[in-house]
Amino acid sequence: MIEICGLNQSYDRRGGYTLRDINLTIRERAVTALVGANGAGKSTLLGVIANIVRPLSGTVLLDGEDVRRIKASAAAKKLAFLKQTLRLGIRITVEELAEYGRFPHCGGRPRDADMEKIDDALRYMKLSELRGRYLDELSGGQRQRAFIAMILAQDTPYIFLDEPLNNLDIKHSVEMMKIVKRLVAELGKTVVIVLHDVNFAAAYADRVVAMKDGRIMSEGNPEEMITKDVLDRVFDHDFNIAEHGGRRVCLYY
Amino acid sequence: MSARSVKRLNARGLAALFAGPPLLLAVSALYIYSRTYAKSSRLGIEMTPAAFESIIGRALPALAGMCVAAALTAIVSLVFQTVTQSRLLTPSMLGFDSVFVTTQTLLVFLFGSRSEMFANPYLNYLTAAGAMIAVSTLMYGAVLRRGRDNIVFLLMFGLVLSGILRSGSGYIQVIMDAEDFNRVRAATSVTVNNMNTDIILPVLPIMLFISAALLLRHRTYNVMSLGPEQAKSLGVPYEREANVSLLLIAAGMSVATALIGSLTFLGLLSVNAARELLKTHRHLPLFIGSAVIASLLLVSGQGAAELLQGALPVTAIIDLAGCSYMFYLILRENRL
Repeated sequence: MIEICGLNQSYDRRGGYTLRDINLTIRERAVTALVGANGAGKSTLLGVIANIVRPLSGTVLLDGEDVRRIKASAAAKKLAFLKQTLRLGIRITVEELAEYGRFPHCGGRPRDADMEKIDDALRYMKLSELRGRYLDELSGGQRQRAFIAMILAQDTPYIFLDEPLNNLDIKHSVEMMKIVKRLVAELGKTVVIVLHDVNFAAAYADRVVAMKDGRIMSEGNPEEMITKDVLDRVFDHDFNIAEHGGRRVCLYY
Repeated sequence: MSARSVKRLNARGLAALFAGPPLLLAVSALYIYSRTYAKSSRLGIEMTPAAFESIIGRALPALAGMCVAAALTAIVSLVFQTVTQSRLLTPSMLGFDSVFVTTQTLLVFLFGSRSEMFANPYLNYLTAAGAMIAVSTLMYGAVLRRGRDNIVFLLMFGLVLSGILRSGSGYIQVIMDAEDFNRVRAATSVTVNNMNTDIILPVLPIMLFISAALLLRHRTYNVMSLGPEQAKSLGVPYEREANVSLLLIAAGMSVATALIGSLTFLGLLSVNAARELLKTHRHLPLFIGSAVIASLLLVSGQGAAELLQGALPVTAIIDLAGCSYMFYLILRENRL
């Protein structure tokens, strides 16, 4: 259970806030999408919840305990974060990457149980045949799956993804979101994901949290959130909502 | 090494593991040969067992000092590259070499080349190492507390600092008298003659301690090479580890520079050669590989310099090779 209370974050000293008075409870075993314009504070909020960024004030409670008081290695057994750009400065294979996911558990000395988890993660992401390949030899979609395999090997109940669709084409974006849905449905994970495209959030998320200027504007189910009223306010833009196959789609061009 | 980590070594790693020790023995033999038999036949003096023993008595500590100092330079450079996330940087870019040169210049300028402060190896070494640790602590204290993007800022600071120190000590060297100037030059370039053999033994434990402290963190460095965010997500307290590493780097660089002088490109050359040779990102093989390569370079260079009667100083060889290699790396990284 993750509860966020009175979170503030600021990067400059003159009082400009990146996050302002954020209160949020993350729904368990569901996909929560953070949406909003550039600079709304989505990625910062994700970073704070995932224990990557230190907040100015406020607390993130993980199962009732302040994350900042938990040892880094213990927190890493519960929270897994994947950054926006998946470029590494080093050349490693798919299997080596997945092995890093076990670091919080084995400290870099994988035992047989760890190797099994790595095998499971690779198999789940359909990467068993590619395990010996280097990341720079893979396509964008395969590379993304390799990183998800690392996070699966980390074996955490909570997964945080920062704009995972950024460098993916349409086909791989859809594939990625289907994987995210499966992580929740089959493995019981709780996923928080920053998305740029509102339609992806509408189609694949269980909860949508809309942010603007460092505050949470509104949150709710996709049906409540994909309305002209809400979206116009969040994005400062004139939206058209259409219906297709019983689902709402927003047109913004 | 455990069975699993041996299994993980690729063919290149295994070949290097077996090639390292004989190569080190070979260059050590070259070095000792060039100091004993080559020298005696050149000078036309017969090599008596007694003379051989007395030369060996001085050559062996020098050899050990060179190997450990070179290995420490390589280890420190590799950690520095991991912490700064760049394979083009070395700690020399923080201005350690220039702090060393400046301390030597100032010691001679203020106290004279015959003074205790400069001529006493212990006092001289302690002053130089102390100044370097002080400068680096000051630098880290001033820069690291600022938080974000500090590495780039740190490098800028180091660049400006070394520029000021270099031109400052250059100016002082110009107004010195010729004898003092020669002594400063001798103290700031590596030759075994001015590497204080008396100081090697007291300094060895410090160097071994710093090397061990860095080597033991090799698994953490593997994770840190994934980048700050990913390392934090995997439970590595990145800022704390980076700060500890930078302090160890400062201590290590000051000890190595004070002992064998400034070797700007030795670390860069050996670390990147190890990367190319071993084709791995894991720090343990890279640590060992680059340490062995650095020792090989320094000892063989010094052996060659002795053979050539000092006609070609070892610093010139290493800097020339390192400089060309750096050009190659920059050109290649830009193309990719």
